Amino acid sequence: MAEAIQKKLKAEVDKYTQMQKDVSKSVSARQKLETQLAENNIVKEELDLLDTKNTVYKLIGPVLVKQDLDEAKATVTKRLEYINGEIQRYETLLKDLEKKSDQHRELLSGLQQEFQKAQGMAVGKV
Amino acid sequence: MAVNLTDLSLPQLEGLKTQLDQEVEFLTSSIGQLKVVQTKYVEAKDSMNVMNQKNKGKELLVPLTSSMYVPGTLNDVENVLVDVGTGYYVEKNVEDSKQFFKRKIDFLTKQIEKIQPALQEKHGMKQAVIEVMNVKIQQLQQNQQSAPMIGPAKA
Repeated sequence: MAEAIQKKLKAEVDKYTQMQKDVSKSVSARQKLETQLAENNIVKEELDLLDTKNTVYKLIGPVLVKQDLDEAKATVTKRLEYINGEIQRYETLLKDLEKKSDQHRELLSGLQQEFQKAQGMAVGKV
Repeated sequence: MAVNLTDLSLPQLEGLKTQLDQEVEFLTSSIGQLKVVQTKYVEAKDSMNVMNQKNKGKELLVPLTSSMYVPGTLNDVENVLVDVGTGYYVEKNVEDSKQFFKRKIDFLTKQIEKIQPALQEKHGMKQAVIEVMNVKIQQLQQNQQSAPMIGPAKA
């Protein structure tokens, strides 16, 4: 009896640690996006200050390629949209994960109590 | 966050101190990084002073690698290529470039000014924790000395 619960408890704890790993992975991914967002915002600000007199180049590999200012602006704006979307996605994902780990924690403490009870009973029988 | 430090146990204080240590270290390295970047921009801004009509057509050595140079002449003293981030380079005239560098330097100064108070606060908290820890340790030692029967506590 106690052994079965212990096995189940262990499986659930493993699941829980995996969940925590997922959470920290998502958090660091979101942080990375946050950095990219800041970087692209700075670039956008700079591009907005330019006029048609300025030539814009894009670094592709080791080569600088001339690019249209409007095109560059459009690319950065699109990138910002994408990053914002991704951040939103991670936000909901994290909320979901947090809710799940909260539930799982409750499940774990319930199992622990059950296990202790079962252990106590086993000792009582002997 | 109104926790009285004196109510905490030594291990708790120790944990708090490690945490504060990490925070202080993180903030210090952040400020260090910002300062490094800022120096780069200051240097770039200063080197813009070479770009004037007086130096037009002068000979210079262009580094092809860090140890090999080829001779060249400074043809265009009006325009430079500035890295604005994420792989975009913009051709700007000297005045605009100087303004660009100034903007960057001011931005970084502001960021550093934002972090500095936080760092000071964390530093103060750390100091407070260390003080309380020292008091607790002293108390512990005194207790041991006043009750020498418990263990041979010789300093």
